[in-house]
Amino acid sequence: MTMVATDIGIAAPIAVPLTKAGRRRRRGRITMWLAIAWLAFITISAVGANFLPYIKHSCSQYSNPKQCSTHVKGDLLKVEKPPAWAWFANPEKNIGNGPERTGWFGTDRNGYDLFSRSMFGARNSLLIGALSITFGLLLGTVLGMIAGYYRGWADRVIEVVTNILLAFPALLLAIFIVTFSDKPDSTSSASDTRSIGPIIIALSILAVPPLTRLVRANTIMYTQREFVVAARSIGAPNRRILLREILPNIIPTLLSFALTGLALLLVAEGALAALGLSVEAPLPTWGRMISSGQERLRQGVWWPSLMPALVMFLTILAINLLGDVLAERFNTREVIA
Amino acid sequence: MRYFLNRLLQLAIVVFAVTFLTSVALRFLPGGSDVVVALKTGPGATREQAQAVKHQLGLDRSIVSQYFDWMHKFVTGNWGFTFQTNQSIKTEVVRALPISAFIMVYAQILSLLFAMPVAMWSAYRQGSKFDRFGTTTAFGLLSAPNYIVAPVLMAAFSVQRKWVPFPSIYAGLGDPVAHFKAFVLPVVTVAIPLYAGYMRLLRSDLIATLQSDFITTARASGVGTWSILFKHALRPSLFSIVTAAAVNIGALMGGVVIVEQFFLLNGMGRLTVESIFRREYPTVQYAVVVLALIYVTVNFLIDLSYAWIDPRVRVGRALG
Repeated sequence: MTMVATDIGIAAPIAVPLTKAGRRRRRGRITMWLAIAWLAFITISAVGANFLPYIKHSCSQYSNPKQCSTHVKGDLLKVEKPPAWAWFANPEKNIGNGPERTGWFGTDRNGYDLFSRSMFGARNSLLIGALSITFGLLLGTVLGMIAGYYRGWADRVIEVVTNILLAFPALLLAIFIVTFSDKPDSTSSASDTRSIGPIIIALSILAVPPLTRLVRANTIMYTQREFVVAARSIGAPNRRILLREILPNIIPTLLSFALTGLALLLVAEGALAALGLSVEAPLPTWGRMISSGQERLRQGVWWPSLMPALVMFLTILAINLLGDVLAERFNTREVIA
Repeated sequence: MRYFLNRLLQLAIVVFAVTFLTSVALRFLPGGSDVVVALKTGPGATREQAQAVKHQLGLDRSIVSQYFDWMHKFVTGNWGFTFQTNQSIKTEVVRALPISAFIMVYAQILSLLFAMPVAMWSAYRQGSKFDRFGTTTAFGLLSAPNYIVAPVLMAAFSVQRKWVPFPSIYAGLGDPVAHFKAFVLPVVTVAIPLYAGYMRLLRSDLIATLQSDFITTARASGVGTWSILFKHALRPSLFSIVTAAAVNIGALMGGVVIVEQFFLLNGMGRLTVESIFRREYPTVQYAVVVLALIYVTVNFLIDLSYAWIDPRVRVGRALG
């Protein structure tokens, strides 16, 4: 399965014919483990951002501990310093605090340490992505199986609805859903005053139509297979056939697809953020960090925008790699069996 | 013929549903028509003034009657004016459409121009160094969303080296140099993930085709490499890539908002999104209906093109 990448991410899945297992190049084991290691590092950092020693923050200045978990504090004297290794960046040109370089990622104009902030951003981005793909998968699987198994009017209704959702430009759909939750007085475009709920709802709804199509196609395929026909002929009820015969066969495809979907939804969150439609202002997500750094980027201060972009790129790359490995493994099994 | 009519009916339903839902969704955006009034009159309008503005814009009628009024205007071609700036909506759309179209066409051409040869040679010499390089780069490029690519390109070519002006200043075909400068970065940004997607699709399809019997037969009867690749293998392998390219036509026309926003080009995507934020209901609806029409027309053409690519596919057979 390959998905066509569009601006916000998800478009119709396009079936790619399986190639013979033996002839397919095996992705290097080292690459795979690097990807796993990177994801583990990001996940651990995201979960433990509040107490891990390499992530800088200071809770003392916030009376509300909840705020602390969203704020990262650097050294305010080191405002907008390039990363320590960036010998080519010329800090004097930007803000007159001496040519010092600091941290792995440098600091932004608020003095936040960008590396630490990226890790806090990982928490929000990954949470949004993971929850959205989970909801999307649940709904997509249920709808797809109903459509593919029962056919008839249910199938037709679901097909029309998915077609309508797909005909909507994905970004528009997301904007609608996200803006619905806005407070009535917010009239301007960039009002970053949302909790993560609406974003998750918007992204899940984006994920549903392609997943429904995928599950439907697979269900149709398996419904015609001999073991389903056999189950039906010995009088197994529909629910049993769906849950015990068809679902286990779809799950591998779904799993490898879920990783790809997760990557796409992470991207989509960033796209919303680029339009000023992301979570509440102090909460960092990768998308927010990238887009809020763009103003400075035009003046030659690249690290506030490009360093989180690097983290995001590596994470998406790692997720895609694992998704590919999974897809390859499951396809191989199918070919052998 | 029955299939044709069936399709046409389905398309009409989709267009109708999309525009109607847009119209309803727009009216239910937080604040509703009060926002329109507030944006038009500024703060502190009296209730009578607000009523007058609403009446003048036709916002005091029911959603359904507003929708049919809009439909009537759309069909007759008299699209009316924007709420706030009092510009002709048609002019706005006509001005935005070519920008999106330029980006879409150039990006498609650019990506296909690179993707096809790379995919063909990768598939032909599967597992070679070239193939490994090709697949790895494609994989990496797929993981780079356009709001990452765009700042990198901009930092490199507009800030560090001032080769291309920022923001992109739109110029038509009349001034080729300015035209090129306005579109090169946005187009490259859009084309990069397209290239990666196309390359992977075509490569895997070609690999499957190259394993089939008729290729072996052709090779056994002494047909040369070029002839095998271009005359025998390419056409039956075009299935997925044509689908993807066609789907992308619709997606790119409406969905390069991020890139347009980043390079400050006023294409369709930006027009739509900005209009949503400014609650320009009719403008959003016209933009959406134009995009939906493009989408369904393209979808229809894809189905027709399948018959050309692979004559075994007969119209009427369910696809996918």
